[in-house]
Amino acid sequence: MMGAFRRARAALFERGAGLLVAQTAFVYLFLYLPIAVLITLSFNDSRYAVVWQGFTTKWYTALLQGETVARVDPTAAWNALLNSVEIAVAMVVISTVFGTMLAFALDRYDFPGKRLFTGVVFMPIIIPSIVMGISLLLFFNIAGIQLGTGTAIIGHVAFGISFVAVVVAARLQTFDQTMEEAAMDLGANELETLRFVTLPMIKPGIFAGALLAFAMSFDDYVVTFFIIGQENTLPIFFFGMVRQGISPGVNVVAALIIVVTMALVAVAQWFQGPTW
Amino acid sequence: MGRDSNNQASGIDAQLVQRVRRNQWTGAIVNLSPSAFWLGVFFLAPLAVMFFFSFGERGAFGEVLLAAENLGLQQYRRFFIPEDTSILVALWATVAWLIETVVPGIETLSATQPTPYVRLLFKSIGYGSLATVVSFAVGYPMAYYIGHIAPERYQNLLIVLVILPFWASFLVRIYAIQLLLSANSVLMSALAVLPFVEQGASLMYSQFAVLLGLVYIWIPFMILPVYSSIEEIDFTLQEAAMDLGADRFEAFYHVIFPQSKPGVMAGSVLVFIPSAGASVIPELLGGTDSQMIGNFIASQFGSAGNWPLGAAGAFVLMGVMLLSIAAYQRGGGELG
Repeated sequence: MMGAFRRARAALFERGAGLLVAQTAFVYLFLYLPIAVLITLSFNDSRYAVVWQGFTTKWYTALLQGETVARVDPTAAWNALLNSVEIAVAMVVISTVFGTMLAFALDRYDFPGKRLFTGVVFMPIIIPSIVMGISLLLFFNIAGIQLGTGTAIIGHVAFGISFVAVVVAARLQTFDQTMEEAAMDLGANELETLRFVTLPMIKPGIFAGALLAFAMSFDDYVVTFFIIGQENTLPIFFFGMVRQGISPGVNVVAALIIVVTMALVAVAQWFQGPTW
Repeated sequence: MGRDSNNQASGIDAQLVQRVRRNQWTGAIVNLSPSAFWLGVFFLAPLAVMFFFSFGERGAFGEVLLAAENLGLQQYRRFFIPEDTSILVALWATVAWLIETVVPGIETLSATQPTPYVRLLFKSIGYGSLATVVSFAVGYPMAYYIGHIAPERYQNLLIVLVILPFWASFLVRIYAIQLLLSANSVLMSALAVLPFVEQGASLMYSQFAVLLGLVYIWIPFMILPVYSSIEEIDFTLQEAAMDLGADRFEAFYHVIFPQSKPGVMAGSVLVFIPSAGASVIPELLGGTDSQMIGNFIASQFGSAGNWPLGAAGAFVLMGVMLLSIAAYQRGGGELG
């Protein structure tokens, strides 16, 4: 009995490779089927967007001409998009500079309380966004700061720094510091060494960190929702639409968002190698 | 004369600059201070404010009372202990309720029910654990395939394909899940072929939908760390084990799997924490029976309007997450 079980078990593992291919294919299907269905349905000729009724591009044409399709107002969507880009760009610039400096400090210096400080740096990545959003809301309330895109940028930087720092610090661990010593021995000062030796070598890390920070900011709904006041961002606008139910207008906006972001990221990964 | 003192002054300046440049702390301070300032003021201070609020009380009109006489542990007490009972009774009620829920057949161990907040907390932990287990069961074989069996030149492409959805908008992907699970969708029509699925059935607004959404969003976080630890394993060890008489299962279980454990642990923490703290996924995919602690916290700051209770709930949730990280570190895991 035991022997039979062991043989069956071993046989299963002998055929493992074939099963694993099937399993892997299944997971890719799981990851991409919903996206494929979403994109397909955005071309669906039906007001009740789930059942396929034939191909049409009329929802795209209508939205691109500025007409409202099933409560989705393209002007509002466009303004929300502009807000999102503005916040994300400002956030990326600030957090990339500060986060890279932070990564250097953590990589190169020992200072009292370093372990504790490193823990604090990881916290914004780990804590639930809802806690972060609400605590910022309370803070801005108490400090009497008017909510708006400004406060959204401030809040986003608070988690952006951590993402950049973690990614850049990982890159710095493989960095060969004798290169810097060589540059200094050859007469470069600190700034020249930084400009011509250090930065070019860790550029992929900084780029990856900035890309991650941008995605986190652009995609964030929960934190932004609490700290942006009356303004809109694309995720907030989209969430409002989704709450009202499935409709062709939402399908088109969703398909556009996902195709554009995935294309941009695919291009970035093509140039930089895999990033995460 | 004036020129001379000027020279002298710049000499002192240059000396000062030299001293500052040589000082061992300069680099650390310059590089640290912007981030330390930002994290201190816009991350730690807000958390401190929220922590302070969690000791407050709600006034008659939903305002927050924070005067000295209102401060206390009453919100935490309200969270954990049903009214008119003691800590011990509450503890027993919680344990009994957990046993009743997990073990089938046992119905009423305790007359007192734990508070709805405690039930919600454990339900969220349950969702988080289930999402972790499912992600592991589904993701591990895949990571193994990509890291060990797939041809080397496709590995990068395969792993990029795992990450790519993670970069695409979270809300849009949740909406895509809605499209699949709604009545009459492609998937549901396909499932209607099965005898026990009714025509026009929908899987939306259910606990299943929430779990599926959690796994869908967070499974890349399981696959990536497992993949990177499997990729580093020296598979000649497997051959060695089999030469010494182990069959394939034993070689995997005793030799390969233990070496991939760091990845599994990192992946588990990365899936568990955001899943247990989710609020958007249950809000969009779940029904009234599948809301989680994150939704409770949000509603206390919205429609329910009890900020101190919401703040207390937030810190209880953070406590659970710290515990899971502590467990991870005890198991030998490292941050980062």
